[in-house]
Amino acid sequence: MDQVVEMQPRNVADGASSVGVAADSFMALTFDLNGERFAISVKHVQEVIDPLEMTHVPNADPFAPGLINVRGAVVPVLNVQYRLGMEASAQTPDTRFVVIEAGSYDERTTFAIVADSVHEVLEVEPAQIHPAPALGLKWPSAFIHGIIQAADGMIIFLDTETIFQPATAL
Amino acid sequence: MMNPADTFRQEATDLLENLEENLLELEAAPTDRPKIDVVFRALHTIKGSGEMFGFSELAKFVHHLENAYELVRSGDAQVTQELIDISLGSRDHIAALLDAGQEEDIISQLVQSELHSTLLQRIAVLSGTGDTPAVPVAEGDAGDAASAAPMVEYTIYFKPEESALRNGMRPDLIASELAMLGECTSRVVTDMVPPLEEMDPSACYLAWELTLKSDAGREKIDDIFLFFDDGDIRVEEKAVAPPEPDAAQSAPATSDVPKAAEAAEPADAPASVEAAAPSAPKDTKPGGERRPEPVSKVESVRVQAHRLDELMDQLGELVIAQARLNGIAERLGDGALGSATEEIERLVTGMRDATLSIRMLPIAGVFGKFRRVVRDLATELGKDVSLTTEGGETELDKNIIDRLSDPLVHIIRNAVDHGIEDSETRIAAGKSAQATVSMIARQSGGEVHIEVRDDGGGLKTDIIRKRALERGLIEPDAEYSDEAIHQLIFAPGFSTAATISSVSGRGVGMDAVRNFIEDLRGAVEVKSETGHGTSVTLRLPLTLAIIDGLLVRIGQGDFVLPLASVEECVELSDEETQNDRHRSIINIRNELVPYLNLSEIFGFERRADALNRVVIVNAEGKRIGLMVDDVIGQHQTVIKSLSDYHRNVEGLAGCTILGDGSVALIVDPSALIKSFSNQFREAA
Repeated sequence: MDQVVEMQPRNVADGASSVGVAADSFMALTFDLNGERFAISVKHVQEVIDPLEMTHVPNADPFAPGLINVRGAVVPVLNVQYRLGMEASAQTPDTRFVVIEAGSYDERTTFAIVADSVHEVLEVEPAQIHPAPALGLKWPSAFIHGIIQAADGMIIFLDTETIFQPATAL
Repeated sequence: MMNPADTFRQEATDLLENLEENLLELEAAPTDRPKIDVVFRALHTIKGSGEMFGFSELAKFVHHLENAYELVRSGDAQVTQELIDISLGSRDHIAALLDAGQEEDIISQLVQSELHSTLLQRIAVLSGTGDTPAVPVAEGDAGDAASAAPMVEYTIYFKPEESALRNGMRPDLIASELAMLGECTSRVVTDMVPPLEEMDPSACYLAWELTLKSDAGREKIDDIFLFFDDGDIRVEEKAVAPPEPDAAQSAPATSDVPKAAEAAEPADAPASVEAAAPSAPKDTKPGGERRPEPVSKVESVRVQAHRLDELMDQLGELVIAQARLNGIAERLGDGALGSATEEIERLVTGMRDATLSIRMLPIAGVFGKFRRVVRDLATELGKDVSLTTEGGETELDKNIIDRLSDPLVHIIRNAVDHGIEDSETRIAAGKSAQATVSMIARQSGGEVHIEVRDDGGGLKTDIIRKRALERGLIEPDAEYSDEAIHQLIFAPGFSTAATISSVSGRGVGMDAVRNFIEDLRGAVEVKSETGHGTSVTLRLPLTLAIIDGLLVRIGQGDFVLPLASVEECVELSDEETQNDRHRSIINIRNELVPYLNLSEIFGFERRADALNRVVIVNAEGKRIGLMVDDVIGQHQTVIKSLSDYHRNVEGLAGCTILGDGSVALIVDPSALIKSFSNQFREAA
């Protein structure tokens, strides 16, 4: 259960503002799925861990295939690829679980998503985010917040409000 | 730490709850002296400590009611229906005042409400004090004792503890209470005030010397200081003119009474934790559904519920860690480690049982509420209904008890509104005019059953069938047993009430009840006999937190079956498994038991080394087999609930963490059988 990257999002954010970053820029975690680069805001990211053995939940929604034990807490594993209509990829030495805590203060849920590899924590200026085009994207637009134009290419910025919603709430 | 005002609110809430129960008992037996005393004492305590903690409007109001009971106690008045009605109404009003706390606008709203004045008016009429309800608190007290005690001059020395102000003591209130007893002067003693640099601004360094000329009697003064057993209180008394001929009595009597209050009236002191509880049962008639408290005084401690929850969480972690330790000890095979591990296991099990038992409460507390519900409902609907309860001493986890009220209210309402006929119909049917609703609790294995039974007309099978047809819940030409029809009342949105009454019939009732009970991992059943009544039974687990489980392997995963529902494990021969998939029936000692193949249901690959074991469970009153790949053994299971992502998955009750750190799912046999019953109907 060794952790590769330990991240404390609040520290990252605080550090950023103290070195004089524009107030409304924010940090995003970038990761790869099937060769495409995606990003989510680090605000909700708790930690990135090595893959754990997952308990499969029978007859569950393929979006939430199983459960893992993250230091004593049972955490559902979400398959973002399924929701984006992508093929599931096989586990490689680069595969990581990203543990995310989302929701409002009194009703927070913790879950993990599987990434083919985790790339970096990136500082994003609001100006870098472009609205997702209505056409030409192969992913359901409800789950896409926008496209980040970064130095080394396009990053799909996921909408944390919708992409992690349980199927029953959609 | 809770602040004293909160402590008072909590204690007063408990007292009010008991008060309601006692009032209802008093209604049934109006001449029950001990009961009258209990009611009086409860009111007295609420008034006394209310005044103390700044709930002065509340105290004022209670005072009037207390006066009415004073008259009853002295034999000058009787317990009448009117008195009980007023008392119950007042009780609710007091509860509202209590809820308002220190919020001035809400309090003044309540005090100016019509209800407030009407209640006071009615109390005044009963107490014969005419139509002047706005009596200050102590006036009545002084009046009561006027004839008895002679005029005495008291010199009172009062030095509160240093921490008294921090604890919410209000010297000004005490002074004003004393002033109500008679002519009072006070002098502040500042000798003990330390130099500024040593002074703690929140501590009380002051003392008071009060002189009081009063004919109220010594007891009234002691009453005022009742709650200050920690301070230094000295009262000297000296009779004033006219001098009494009896020299012994008129001689200045000096007495130190630092702890006098405690010694004099221990049952009244709200500071003692179990103020009302132990005094009440003594006065209870045998056979009542009271808490099974021993007659001797039991020490009890008030603990906030969330602390118990924390303890339970910690214990859950401990159980998991202990399972991991077991695994390690087994692997290492070290004898000394093994015996130490066993010792720890034994201790953890003991601790688990002790912790769970702390959380167990008798169900009588829930039952108590319903006497009022039934009484009010019956009055509203013009029916004559009595409530009997049985098995109130049955214990259940606090978290379950807390969540039982709503579903039980639904069921009781249904029983009184729909089940019970009016008196004429009952007499015509040859039944007693007064209907009975019974609430019966009993423990049965790992479950508690709560049955609500009425002796009304029973479910109207034809109407339910008709309604179910309209809603497309049943097929028009299929045959259904009456029993099957009755279960339809639990279907979503089902309601047969011809008109929507204020009581029930909004179509949310039984469906909501079932969901509620299923959330508690329980089940609900209905039985009905036309003309003889309906019985609804809630089956609930003893606790929500930890269960004994049977660990089984299915496919690649480990699963836990609740041991409480497991009857036996059998092994299938290969020939038996060769049967047609849809005809899975196993012959156990000449009894044919249908079984479900769990790896098939769960869509798992069968393991090559699978053993074809069948665990026979008893669920929904039926014996049913669950075929698993292997039975591993017993397992103390800490139940963790499933997240929103998996809550709707059929047949699972939660999950747990095993000794090796992996996550195992807990199977809910009843839910599993229900959701796969179609497959079952074919099989059976």
